Amino acid sequence: MANELTLEEKSKGKESYSYWGLVFKRLRKHSMAMIGFFMLIIIIVVVVLGPLVWRVSPTQQPEGMEDILLSPSAAHPFGTDEYGRDILARFLYGGRVSIFIGLMAAISSVFFGAVIGLTAGFFGGKIDAVLMRLVDIMLSIPIFPLLIALASVLGKGVWQIILVIVVFGWMGDARLVRSVVLSLKEEEFSEAAKAIGVSPLRIMFIHYLPNVMAPIIVSTTLGIGGAIIYEASISFLGFGVQAPLASWGNMLQHAQDYIFTHQLLVWYPGIAIFLTVLSFNFMGDGLRDAMDPRLYR
Amino acid sequence: MRTYLTRRTLQLIPVIIGAMLIAFLILSLVSDPFAAMIENPKIKLADIARLKHQWGFDLPIYLRFFKWFGSVVVGNWGPSLLYPGYSAREVIFRALPITLQVMGLSFIFSILLSIPLGVISAVKQYSKTDYGLTFFSFFGMSMPTFWFGLMMMIVFSVWLKRPSGVPLLPPGSIQTPGIESAAFLPRVLDRVQYLIMPVIVLSLFSIGGWVRYMRSFMLEVLHQDYLRTARAKGLKERTVIYKHAFRNALIPIITLIALSFPGIVSGAALTEYVFNIPGMGHLVLSAELKNDFPTAMIALTLSTVLVVIANLLADIVYSIVDPRIRYS
Repeated sequence: MANELTLEEKSKGKESYSYWGLVFKRLRKHSMAMIGFFMLIIIIVVVVLGPLVWRVSPTQQPEGMEDILLSPSAAHPFGTDEYGRDILARFLYGGRVSIFIGLMAAISSVFFGAVIGLTAGFFGGKIDAVLMRLVDIMLSIPIFPLLIALASVLGKGVWQIILVIVVFGWMGDARLVRSVVLSLKEEEFSEAAKAIGVSPLRIMFIHYLPNVMAPIIVSTTLGIGGAIIYEASISFLGFGVQAPLASWGNMLQHAQDYIFTHQLLVWYPGIAIFLTVLSFNFMGDGLRDAMDPRLYR
Repeated sequence: MRTYLTRRTLQLIPVIIGAMLIAFLILSLVSDPFAAMIENPKIKLADIARLKHQWGFDLPIYLRFFKWFGSVVVGNWGPSLLYPGYSAREVIFRALPITLQVMGLSFIFSILLSIPLGVISAVKQYSKTDYGLTFFSFFGMSMPTFWFGLMMMIVFSVWLKRPSGVPLLPPGSIQTPGIESAAFLPRVLDRVQYLIMPVIVLSLFSIGGWVRYMRSFMLEVLHQDYLRTARAKGLKERTVIYKHAFRNALIPIITLIALSFPGIVSGAALTEYVFNIPGMGHLVLSAELKNDFPTAMIALTLSTVLVVIANLLADIVYSIVDPRIRYS
């Protein structure tokens, strides 16, 4: 589908690339995507390797009151929080949790949405009608209040939060994949495949699935940022990841009480969330441009 | 057109009922309004049993839904448990105008800002302005709403003060206590102070997304053949862009704006929570978390109806701006 070359690439007349080779080549020239990519690498290295270097417990609460809400110092480079826990350590461990939730929730939402979309688009008829009404319904409920409600029931573990985000996050992808499948069905190769007696399942997974990969990858990348923000919002209200486990969201849970006195508590996790989401959005945008040569005219 | 509208309107009914059913199921998992009552020694057990029967809590859940739905349709919305002594209807109609004010303002603000910015970004593609606007929109899309709200508070209520020592903008709530009795103008000015931060926070996210989309829709149109034709026959660049390109780029953005409506309703919940604005979003959150089942359900229903109507309006506007679309 998207294997054609852009004008610029044609004029150079170089050796031919595979589709993914081309995507990679375009991506390398996309400065925003590259900025996002390198920022992400830095962020991931910091949260993955950081705790190995900064070996302070993120959960240990000192006895007594004198270590509470300390300003940054050599012993606590980011200071301490309202329970006297080291903020740098919580920041590093919290990043792991937040990014993990973002990744898993986005991948699962897209997977679930893609399965629904493929099924609806491929079989059409009643199945399609029922599934798409379900999408309509889910898209017209105000998601956020119900997200919070479900989170408050399901419990506060990492996997529960992922489940909650997926339950309310698959609809866009289902619509997207369905529309791609519907247009693929009209293509000649579909007819040819049917004519030579290829089984429906094979058409679905061998012929259609690779064609929806590009939008799926873009949607996943952009979805990670959204999921990280959802996790942060749920945890901010107190229904997400529960202490003593840290996440960037639940570090902000009591932030509102400290905006007048200890603003640093608000700054660190917020900036981290913002930069991470920004990097994923940059990457997603770059991928979209790279995978769709029509945009390069 | 009329048959189309009738059909579309009828199609909305199952969507709304389905949405209510899902909301009902989830909320039933959350709250048992009777748990708190049983612990309250002032309420007699017999009264609880009577209420249980009255609200259908002695029925299986699917029957309870229909009982609830039936009484809502008839207009009996039940009492508010969050604010004892008030009915859910009173509580909601106190919150609704506030939300509509905040949301309406930020909606208008976002549209007025993002459409021109998107057009400029597209017309001056790859210029410094374009890069600046692109960064701005990614900034908006990547910012957690509630954190941006907290940041605004730090800047405008903690750091910046008026000469008298009062924060430049009030860090929450919706009006100065006692202002209700003031004259019209001071009351409006007072409200404006409180609305500035929430409206900016609420707008930022939608503006970010819409500028990006407006830009790409506009770029799409700018590469069409009929634009080359328009230029070739000697039209002024202004006419080409604003009469030929802009109008066509507006068509897809309308759907997009309508589709982002639920997001604004949700975003409003968190923004209202952060700024302590007593609107619908805040009401739903506190109602569902404090077991006020009737109020939470009605508020969710109204928000859903709002969203569904917005989508229908979008379809109608769509057919007005794009004469090629004929509904039948």
